[in-house]
Formats: sequence, C-alpha cells, structure tokens
Amino acid sequence: MMQHALNEGLLLLRQRAGVSTVLALALAVPIALAGVGMAVYRWLGPVAELSGTESSIAVLLHPDLDTAERQRWVAAQSTAHPDWRITEVSSEELVRRLRRWFPYLEDLVGTGDATMPPLIEVATSDLESLAVLEGQPEVLAVGPQSSVQQLLGQVARRLSWALAVLSAVLLSAAVLLAVVWVHLELYRHSDELTIMRLVGATEGTIRGPFVVAVGVSGVVAGMVAVFGSLAAANGLTRMVTVLGLPEVVVTPGILAMQLATAVMLPVTAAAFTLSRHAREEFDS
Amino acid sequence: MIRLRNVSKDFEGRFILRSLDLQVEAGEFIFLTGPSGAGKTTLLRLLYAAERPSEGEVWVAGRRVDQLQRSRLPLLRRKIGVIFQDFKLLRRKTVLENITFVLRIHGVPPRESNRRAQQVLKRLGLQHRQGALPDALSGGEQQRVAIARALAYQPRLILADEPTGNLDADLASELLSLLCDINYQGATVLVATHDHAILESIPARALVLHQGRIHYDGMWPP
Repeated sequence: MMQHALNEGLLLLRQRAGVSTVLALALAVPIALAGVGMAVYRWLGPVAELSGTESSIAVLLHPDLDTAERQRWVAAQSTAHPDWRITEVSSEELVRRLRRWFPYLEDLVGTGDATMPPLIEVATSDLESLAVLEGQPEVLAVGPQSSVQQLLGQVARRLSWALAVLSAVLLSAAVLLAVVWVHLELYRHSDELTIMRLVGATEGTIRGPFVVAVGVSGVVAGMVAVFGSLAAANGLTRMVTVLGLPEVVVTPGILAMQLATAVMLPVTAAAFTLSRHAREEFDS
Repeated sequence: MIRLRNVSKDFEGRFILRSLDLQVEAGEFIFLTGPSGAGKTTLLRLLYAAERPSEGEVWVAGRRVDQLQRSRLPLLRRKIGVIFQDFKLLRRKTVLENITFVLRIHGVPPRESNRRAQQVLKRLGLQHRQGALPDALSGGEQQRVAIARALAYQPRLILADEPTGNLDADLASELLSLLCDINYQGATVLVATHDHAILESIPARALVLHQGRIHYDGMWPP
C-alpha cells in the first residue's frame, strides 16, 4: 500500500511538475511572510511591553484644601480608580525637590511650608485615565501625561498586533490556496477516482498517492518558506543592528511551524476533499 | 447469488425500474436484454452499488447491497467483475497497468499480477498492446482491455454491459466463449445486450426488460 502510494504519488508529481512547483512556491510566500511577521512580532515584544509600564505623574492640589479635605479627596480618587497608586508628597519633600531646581527659591517665597501647595503622585500604567482630574476644583495642575517610553511601547504594540493580524491573514490565504490547489487536482482526476472505487479500491488506496503528491509539494513549499524567512530576517537584522538594536531572530519554533503548516495544509485539504468526494459519490 | 425484492428505481419521478423481483443462482449464465432505455444498465448499476434503489431490497453474494456502508463497498466490488459499456479505463496507465492495478487492489503480489495480466491479455489477443495507453487503442481494443481487467481476478460474479458493442463478429464470439468458460469454472455471468445475434448464439436464461419491468424470464430462444 505504502509502495503503491509512493509510486503513484511521485508519478502524479512528475506529470504535473511545473504546476506543482508554481503552486508550492505560491504556498511558500504567505507562509514565509507569516513567519517573518511572527519573528518581528517577537522582536517588538520588549518594546511593546513598555506601553504597560507604570509612570508616576505629579498632581498639584489647591492650596486652600486643608488636610482633612485633601485626605477625603485622595480616598475618593482611590475608590474611583483602584488601579491608581496615590501617594502624598510631604511639604518637606516638595521643598527639597524644588530646591534642587531653584536654589534661590527661599529668597523668593520665604521659609516654611505653609506656602507650598499639597502635592500628590499618581502611579498608573494608564496615563490617559488621569484626564479625569483636569477641571476638578480640588486640582490645581496635572503634570505631563505622556512619556516617550510609553509612546514607543504603544506604537510597538500596535505594530505587533498589525503583524499578528497580517500573519493570520497570510496563513488564511495559504489555507485557501492549498484547498483550491487540491480541489483542482482532484477535479482533474475525478473520473479516475470513480473508476478506482468501482473496481474495489479502498479509500486508503485512493487517498495515498494524492497525499504523497501534495505532501511532497508541501515539503518543498515549507523549505522555501523556511529559507525565505531566514533570508528576510537576516536582511532586517542588518538594517536594525546599524541602529544598535538587537537582531531579528526566526526561532526554531517558528521554522518548525512553517514547515508543518506547509505540509499539513495541503495534506489535510487532500484528505478532506477526497473524503467529501467519496461521500458525495456514495450519497448520489 | 443475486436476489431482488420489489425493486424500483426512479429519477426525479420517472421510473426506470418498477417492482422487480429476481433470483439468480450461483453459476448461472443470464442474458439481460430489452430495448434501449429498458433499464438494463440501471439494473447492473444497482447490483454493483453504483445506484441505490428507490425502494426494495438488492442482495448480491449474501450481502444486502442497498444498505451497505461506504466502507464495506470495496469488499463487495472485489467480488464482482464489471465490464463497463464505456470501458472506464485509467487513462494515465498502460494496458498492462490497468489490469495489474486491479490485481494489486485484490492483494495479488506484483510478480503474480504481471503474470496473470499477461495471461489474460494473451487470451484476448492484446499482448502486443500491453505498453500502450488506452487513448492509443481502438474502441474494440479498449473494450477487450476492460474485459481483461474484469476477468483477471477471477470474480464470482461478472456483470457485462453491452460487452460486444465495439467488437466484430469473430471477437464477439471469442468473448462469449471466454465468458462461457468462466461460467463453466463456476462464476455467475450476467450479460446485458440488445444484440440478438449474441442472444441466439448460446442457449441461456434470458431476462427481457421492457419499460422497467421483467417482460420475459426463461430460456432463450423461447
């Protein structure tokens, strides 16, 4: 049975060598691109994580607020925003910080902390959520709400998602291509399949040669995809290392996935289509 | 060997076979005849499970064919040698491969397959064409290959649909004597034909179909 499947499968391939090669290459392209997409997705990972880092933003409260009012306000904000970590900065700490930047501060405003507005710091990973503080009567000013790191992280995260979606779309295209390819091949051999069934061939005997033929084409497609994505990653690495950035690496896992996808897609499509062909013929 | 009980077959309301009852014992030689459209080919297709009856029971070699599962179909068909009216040869395979392929399906080892295929080709006068592809053969030669393929694995039941349609008188006579030999060796043979010369050539049971019903069942000539 195996010998028969191998011989007949290779015969099928020989008879359609040109078409099989073109289709294998066509299958390799989306799989290779999906692999590169995954490698870049991984590469962007550490940068994308920056979008989730916590930043601490200074919020100046109105100087007229007494301690009790301030504590009530802080408690209310903590309840409303459980993800915020609110810490009160003491007047001494605020003076110390200001002195670092403004050595002549005391000459200007005199000594004592009575003149210092109450300062709190809100630590959160969602800086945009601080917008609710703007316009509150208790709040005098909110510090800058963006950080370059976070911005970079957000861009990288969006780019990662775009690449993941692109990879999924490309793999879907590969699935579609494999199904259409197998469908066309089986359509060409439809009469032959019917004859084989009429003379008593089992589905295994019929399926074997097609599985071998599309499996071999799948291996070719997989190898092309593997080498293609390695070459692409190499090219990207050359560009980014100039900027002092780390290499883009196509991991063995991604390579194995590419090879497996290239082989399994057409083989599964062949098995499924042949099974459906047999069922339709039997039911009719 | 064959038993039909109240079998009818219709295609979109048009009845091809109506309430057929038939019993064929193992080892019989039967002609199935009638005008074109009488239902001869449909009856044969019911026997090798290429069609299912609209109603009734079809039994072949002790199996109820109309209720057979898809996975059991190959086993039934390996007991039946079918000579198709349109030959149904594998176009990509040579004459020899068309026959050895079927033998291999039946589990005959490659060397034995080759020997048996060549033997049957020699008997049908096709040994010199064993390397040719079906498309390079004449209609008569293709028909003989189809016959050779059906006979090669010595099935218990042979169903022949107009097997002499493309043969000249000498070859038709040779084919009939071949089928008689096989029948003599114990196989049941059912030959669908509308050729009266064939019918007259050997005395055998004949079923005459007319408008989907058995019009006559008995020895021919009557």
